[in-house]
Amino acid sequence: MSGGHVQLESLTKRFDDVTAVDGISLEVQPGEFFSLLGPSGCGKTTTLRMIAGFEPPSAGKILLDGTDVASWAPNRRNVNTVFQNYALFPFLNVEENVAFGMRYQSVPKAQRSSRVAEALELVQLSGYGKRRPNQLSGGQQQRVALARALVLRPAVLLLDEPLGALDAKIRKQLRIELKALQEEVGITFVFVTHDQEEALSMSDRMAVMNEGQIEQIGSPAEVYEDPGTMFVADFLGVSNLMEAEAVGWRDGECTLQVGEFHLRSCCGEVGTRGPVKVVVRPERIQLLEHGASQENSLPGMIQRSVYVGSTLHVFVQLFEGTTIQVWITNTGQADAGTAGTPVSVHLPAEALRVLGAGDEPAPAEREGEAAGTVAAGA
Amino acid sequence: MATAIDKTVSAPPSPAAVGAHRGFRGNPWRRPWAMEGFTWLYIIWSIVPIGIAVLFSFNKGASQATWQGFSTKWYIGAQVTSVLHNPSLHHAVIQTLILAGLTTLICVPLGVAFAIGIDRWRSRTANGLNFVMIFSFVIPELLLAVALFMLVTQALTFIGLGTDAEVAGLVVWNLSWPAIIVRARLASIGSSYEEAASDLGAPRLSAVGRVLLPMLTPAMLASAVLVFASTIDDFVIVEQLSSTASTQPMSVLIYANVHGGLSGPALNALATIMLVVSLLAAVIGFFAYRWLTRGERTEGTAEALATIAGI
Repeated sequence: MSGGHVQLESLTKRFDDVTAVDGISLEVQPGEFFSLLGPSGCGKTTTLRMIAGFEPPSAGKILLDGTDVASWAPNRRNVNTVFQNYALFPFLNVEENVAFGMRYQSVPKAQRSSRVAEALELVQLSGYGKRRPNQLSGGQQQRVALARALVLRPAVLLLDEPLGALDAKIRKQLRIELKALQEEVGITFVFVTHDQEEALSMSDRMAVMNEGQIEQIGSPAEVYEDPGTMFVADFLGVSNLMEAEAVGWRDGECTLQVGEFHLRSCCGEVGTRGPVKVVVRPERIQLLEHGASQENSLPGMIQRSVYVGSTLHVFVQLFEGTTIQVWITNTGQADAGTAGTPVSVHLPAEALRVLGAGDEPAPAEREGEAAGTVAAGA
Repeated sequence: MATAIDKTVSAPPSPAAVGAHRGFRGNPWRRPWAMEGFTWLYIIWSIVPIGIAVLFSFNKGASQATWQGFSTKWYIGAQVTSVLHNPSLHHAVIQTLILAGLTTLICVPLGVAFAIGIDRWRSRTANGLNFVMIFSFVIPELLLAVALFMLVTQALTFIGLGTDAEVAGLVVWNLSWPAIIVRARLASIGSSYEEAASDLGAPRLSAVGRVLLPMLTPAMLASAVLVFASTIDDFVIVEQLSSTASTQPMSVLIYANVHGGLSGPALNALATIMLVVSLLAAVIGFFAYRWLTRGERTEGTAEALATIAGI
């Protein structure tokens, strides 16, 4: 089915006195894999439910291929949903589940069974048609839910944390399959997740949401490498935050002063002057021996190092009190040194990002790494 | 402090020593004699009299106290006095089954509609009706029975005493079962299945018919069993609302005859039939419930038992 253009205009949803979605606007192109990423309670699921038609918006428009469907019942919209708990009908077998929606489309009876077989083949579940949902594993149920939605050839497929209930290993495998499947069928996917790795690895573009609003929209690389706000920088993986003074500007590069040291930075708001916040990703930092005379380096001391398998997470306390995290690839001989070892951290100019002075600090709630990675507040 | 901890760690007392020292209360794995004893006492207390009553329905003689050999004459054999051949006795069996069947047929659909309605309709009125749902648990049955008696003899005289009034009364009294059980089921189902159905294109009514009702079937079955069984046992309402002997079900007949009048093991036979029909309904219900919910990951037996028992 062609089409699949989604446009949200100032979409708002208020529950009593709580504003779950606060006037968001975005556009999803036909055939795009678009993710809504954010912490729980950021309004991403509510947004999805409004597109599906389960929640009426308080204000705003939902344009599906140019038609405002905001007031339409879910069964009239050419979108289908894959639910977080799959919502497979337990009293029907796999085939009957997949065929469920075709009764409401003008699909001739003769074609239904071949369409079901096709859909099951697409999700690699041929031969499972006579089983009941409870005889399948979580990953298989997930595929049935996908087949049940895709068999109707919707313009847009909405996925509400579809991998959330699965084991880490199956989740990673399904990520790749899901992306390949989307490319194969060419349907617009709107994917809701709180897992930044999921959003980064699958999306063509993504919107990072916080407190009912969109913080940033862009490709995974743009959002990760070029975070527009403190929140985005912090939510997408671990970021180290430092306070600095922007003191000069030359050839698109900003000179920052941290204590008596000078650092060059060539991304972010390089034109700013005065006190600024600087972020740097832990995987972009290099750990050098103490006293190494490389430019863009700061002295520090190893606080502790955490072994996580593929990498070593080293927490370094900088000379002015801030603790930053440095990730070193596990090459087999990685040994950062014990706590108390003086080191020098190299912060490449192209990895140092200057944030605007007006940015709010990131909220406390975030997934993943423990505290101690953000500014210790010197 | 440190030395005290050291002492405990270095010299742990053996379990036997603990037992000896603190007595039987110190051993949490001891056999729970008291609990077992009370359980058996309870079982004996509640089952033995029933067993004796059932036993004497098979007595060869006419005594309800002296065993005179086995016979089924009080059920089918005796020409005048057996349940089969005494018109008032076998009529009571039929009347009971008619009442139970009609009440179940009316009560369950009504209760399902009531439950779905209250579940969907969120308002102050719905909250008030929620209370009506547990109505029969809080008001005395006799009060309802007398009120209904007044109603059909004084105001709604076109109904009058008899089968119609009995069924109406039993429906009112038993409506809570399907309403509460179906509501509980609705709560555990949640809204996602219906949402999925409408997402797949089903209009509202179709979503209810194709998804919600099949998912409510176990709850409907469980409540049907409860309504059926409790109608068979009912006495207070039918006693008030029955008119002539022709509309007297088993319970009323037994009550009327147990202190004189028609007596003897035929009454035991009647009571045994009542017991067996109730039991059968529960057993069939239990297995049917398990079969219907086989597609769901639940606690299985325990859940089925709890639902059939109306817990």
